[in-house]
Amino acid sequence: MSSSGDDPVPSVPDVGQAEMDAMVDAETADAREELAKTDHDTDLGVAMAEDAKAVSRGELSADEYWERYDEAAEAEFGADYRETPNPAIDSPDQTISTETAEDLGCTVGSMESVACGLSGADGPEAADAVDDQAGSDERWGMVIDLQKCVGCDSCTVACKAENRTPPGVSYNVVMEEEHGEFPEVTRTNVPRPCMQCENPPCVQVCPVSATYKMDNGVVNVDYDRCIGCRYCMIACPYGARYFDFGENYDDEVQEAGEVTSPEYGVDRGEREDGESPVGNVRKCSFCTHRLERGEEPACVETCVGDARNMGDLDAEDSEVAEMAESSRAFQLKEDEGTDPNVYYLK
Amino acid sequence: MATEHSTFDFDPGFVDDRLRAVWYVFVGALLLVGAWASWLRITGGMQSTNLTSITPWGAWVAFYIYFVGLSAGAFLVSTLANVFEVSGMHRVDRDALFAAIVSMVVALLFVWTDLGRMERMYHPFLWRQATSALSWEVHAYVAYIGVLVTELYFSMRYDLARVAEKGSGLRARLSGLLTLGRRQTTEASRATDLTWLKRAGVLGIPLAIFLVHGGTGVLFAVSKARPYWNSGLFPLIFVVSAVLSGTALVIVLYVLRTRLFDDEPVDRDLLDTLAKLLAAFIVTDVALTAIEALIAVVSFHPHVVETWHIIAFGEMSWSFWWVMVGLGWVFPMVALTSRRWRRTPWAMVLAGLSVVVGIVAVRFNIVVPPQIRPVMEGLPHGAYFPSLVEWATSAGMIAVGLLLYTLGAELLPLTPLEGGDH
Repeated sequence: MSSSGDDPVPSVPDVGQAEMDAMVDAETADAREELAKTDHDTDLGVAMAEDAKAVSRGELSADEYWERYDEAAEAEFGADYRETPNPAIDSPDQTISTETAEDLGCTVGSMESVACGLSGADGPEAADAVDDQAGSDERWGMVIDLQKCVGCDSCTVACKAENRTPPGVSYNVVMEEEHGEFPEVTRTNVPRPCMQCENPPCVQVCPVSATYKMDNGVVNVDYDRCIGCRYCMIACPYGARYFDFGENYDDEVQEAGEVTSPEYGVDRGEREDGESPVGNVRKCSFCTHRLERGEEPACVETCVGDARNMGDLDAEDSEVAEMAESSRAFQLKEDEGTDPNVYYLK
Repeated sequence: MATEHSTFDFDPGFVDDRLRAVWYVFVGALLLVGAWASWLRITGGMQSTNLTSITPWGAWVAFYIYFVGLSAGAFLVSTLANVFEVSGMHRVDRDALFAAIVSMVVALLFVWTDLGRMERMYHPFLWRQATSALSWEVHAYVAYIGVLVTELYFSMRYDLARVAEKGSGLRARLSGLLTLGRRQTTEASRATDLTWLKRAGVLGIPLAIFLVHGGTGVLFAVSKARPYWNSGLFPLIFVVSAVLSGTALVIVLYVLRTRLFDDEPVDRDLLDTLAKLLAAFIVTDVALTAIEALIAVVSFHPHVVETWHIIAFGEMSWSFWWVMVGLGWVFPMVALTSRRWRRTPWAMVLAGLSVVVGIVAVRFNIVVPPQIRPVMEGLPHGAYFPSLVEWATSAGMIAVGLLLYTLGAELLPLTPLEGGDH
């Protein structure tokens, strides 16, 4: 095939710039028609839109724009205008001068502050995650639907990427088992994070109380107190604990230790030889640092089959609590008496 | 037996200077190897071991419980003299106590080396956990060492005072220091010593049996995640095998020190008593282990059955059959059956050494096999054999024990100066 510059590239139509602009115009909705559908003044809307384009072209300053329309907008929208923060007033990158901002009829406040207020009021369940110390009363639980799990191991990969765990440390693994004989075979995939047990044997045996249960149900490891005796690894019935032998991915990835995960909300900076958590025991924390930001754990967020669910087991309208109580639900090694906060649906 | 003159001529070290030189060169070489390996362990961290997250406990833990057991066993033999007043046993009283102290020092060296963060070894004294056997153990070890040192002091003070008073040179000065100022050599002061010795011994017996060594067994037995250890009989077996190894050690030390240091004839009756004790402990150890195995195997608990399978037929089964069963039980038992052999010092040294080595395999077979099969099906299986660094550091730490014991035996009146009883 010829590769001369004049030849049209396959799948790109051989049309000029003007024709393409015309196509965009044809697709653009008529401003007057659209605004007529609202209860508000069409002329004002069109004028504000035209001048806004002038502001973005640099023909009009933002200050002039808001001075011109402040009164009209307040008259037209009333309380809605006064109580909604103006996007132009958004420190630190506010586009109008302070004097102009103070003269305006709308509330002086950033969009950011409003967003925070919203999530606190009636955000989605995961957004309720705020710092443990802030007095929240979640009991975090995870429900893994084994019928949805396809055994792709992406939870394991996402976990390693999120928590930046060293070689030999894998907070989440997928235990895979094949049953039967060909051709009558089935395969079970059981993802295994830390169970965050209600009665954690690891906590019972730790001689220095370095591992303990937090109010939100997550079993914490204090890397600065842990002496590395590994008794908790002996005691864990789920093999969920790993010793950090101090190995690194330096041969595979350049600057692999530059960034570490702020596990349990503690940022330890770069990974350094001989510094904790090297020489400590490590495990899944339900991505506490993500929960605190209102995010789901990395494994839950990444799951391709949506098999993993995270939420508050104590909340009234909690989906995970409902799933954990279903007849399909079970826990691993129930007869150990550990009462895990990770449930599986069979 | 000893005349006034020989008391002043207090000289308990090696009789043969050539042997002394050979021994110190040997111990020194082990110490050098150990120092080199310890350097590798400290700079390289836990990567210098063959441990993994599947098998997190290995040789250092096995040696740690071995030396705790050796100490508890030797201590219990000493109580035969100073608490139960079995005649003739006073000859080995201080020796057993001193060996118990040295063994505890070695045990703590091992558990320290095993910590992922060695510099935090004081943390268990700052933070505690009431449900943690290990938290209790650390405190029990300190209390136990305190009792041992107290006992050795009261057992030896009278002779220390006499050496300080009538001897000369380094030994006299050291002895004077160790009397802690109580230098009376009256019979009344000696009676006070014996009273306190007995009191400390009475306190020490439950401490050694239930907290120190029974407790070390509890440390494993509480682990429900490892059904092989999770048995009520387990701490008891710990204590019995501890007494077994301790008795064997005392026999070896008694014969070697009497022949090589004191240059005296071995008391055949005492040897016979100790040998019979050893035989009784072997029978008890074999019986309890067999009961434990039977209960475990008949329960059909898959984890326990597979662990026994690993022990008896796995890659390391030679350590079970040849070292644990062969050296620990069968060979010494054969040697102990004949009255003539029981009264032959060198035969008993061999039998004792055989047990001392055999119990090492007992400890390894306690610690390692339950960590080979994973706790959850679907997780990888473990495999473990100690690395060169683990072996060499172990040799070094054992050499520290040998050196401490030899120095003590050369400098202190570990044999009562009167020869026989106090």
